[in-house]
Amino acid sequence: MTTTTAPATSKPLFGKEEKRAILDPLWDNNPIALQVLGICSALAVTTRLDKALVLGAGVIMVTALANVIISLLRNLIPSKVRIIVQLVVVSSVVIIFDQLLKAYMYDLSKSLSVFVGLIITNCMVMGRLEAYAMANPPWRSLLDGIGNGLGYAWIIAVVAAIRELLGSGKLLGYEVVPQALYEAGYVNNGLMVLAPGAFILLGVLVWVQRAISGYIEK
Amino acid sequence: MNLNSNSYVLGFVVAVCIGTSLTLALTANALKETQAAAAEFDRKKNVMIAAGLCTASDERSREELEQLYKDRVSEFVIDTESGKPDAEMKPADADGKRYRVVATTKGDGGAVEAYVLPISGRGLWSTLRGYLALDGDKNHVRGITFYEHKETPGLGGEVDNPSWQAQWKGKTVLDEDGKLISITVKKGQVNPAVALEKAHAVDGLAGATITAKGVQTFVKADLQAFSKYLYE
Repeated sequence: MTTTTAPATSKPLFGKEEKRAILDPLWDNNPIALQVLGICSALAVTTRLDKALVLGAGVIMVTALANVIISLLRNLIPSKVRIIVQLVVVSSVVIIFDQLLKAYMYDLSKSLSVFVGLIITNCMVMGRLEAYAMANPPWRSLLDGIGNGLGYAWIIAVVAAIRELLGSGKLLGYEVVPQALYEAGYVNNGLMVLAPGAFILLGVLVWVQRAISGYIEK
Repeated sequence: MNLNSNSYVLGFVVAVCIGTSLTLALTANALKETQAAAAEFDRKKNVMIAAGLCTASDERSREELEQLYKDRVSEFVIDTESGKPDAEMKPADADGKRYRVVATTKGDGGAVEAYVLPISGRGLWSTLRGYLALDGDKNHVRGITFYEHKETPGLGGEVDNPSWQAQWKGKTVLDEDGKLISITVKKGQVNPAVALEKAHAVDGLAGATITAKGVQTFVKADLQAFSKYLYE
């Protein structure tokens, strides 16, 4: 990517703007907790932590790459067809990710099934392209993409960890709840495995996050 | 330059299309072999899961499992019309109708430990593909797996549920007179007080009547297709 402008001497590689681009979406402007974007996949893939981590990695890769590509093209894209061009770029990156999964993580790609493809329709991705990459240079767009991807990934990872732990007594597929506890009468919470469990957890998480970050709905 | 002139828009869109399709074609081509190998390994692993040689979440490495497959499993084609193995045909050339692939695993004494039969047929949304393994006595079910289907997750997709699959183990496909009656997927739960159900039926899948019926139908049809080979 030779066209990425090397930062001029007066501008540091990680200036204020750059830091904001990557750190804001992690907490203060989290795509799930504050903008409530992209939660449909957050509900579907969070039954197991490994699924959530892989999908999180996918979203990070997609937002980052698509942001850079769109940002590089931003002065060439005719405004009439910009949404379609964004969609084509996002779809291509997602398909590449899906192909990679099929080749190297076949089991996970089977259990994630359609949800990898559904990253395309994750409104968070398109939202970043439209709101950020169309107006900012590639380096900052890359950081913004990574930041938003991470902001999405950590939330679904937390939801998945809680669901897997309470729902199946495992983490990443390893038994963590000791057998003795089951013998003492402990049972896994079946609600956590089902979609309503994710709704409830996500709701609680959004509430906690907003209470801490002090966000007020306008 | 006017970015919104029709000719520019057209040119730009064509360029984007060509660019992305080239990239995708190149990626798909470069990964084709790795993907095919991964799918083939998944199939082999399912043969072994059905035969009870490994589990779905086996911690052994891929190399070890490939080796295990090589050591223990032999695959060959049989002609279902005559019931005889066809030594000349390669498994890849079998059409899945008249010529079908059977895998067997052998125990220490050289006796056949498991017959792994491919099963496939329609569920609700898709064709399910999997394996049904019978013990060396050709009567007791050893295991069942599915490696490909597109049924609704949580409903028909529960055919993948290990505890549902575990019920198949130990059921018998032959009645007392040695007649093939296959396995029934009940609507609801098996009543253990009824001898016939206890031996030949498994619980249904809640909310997935059509998938369950499909499984019952094609398991029976496939067993029938193999009956000449197995029982004559």
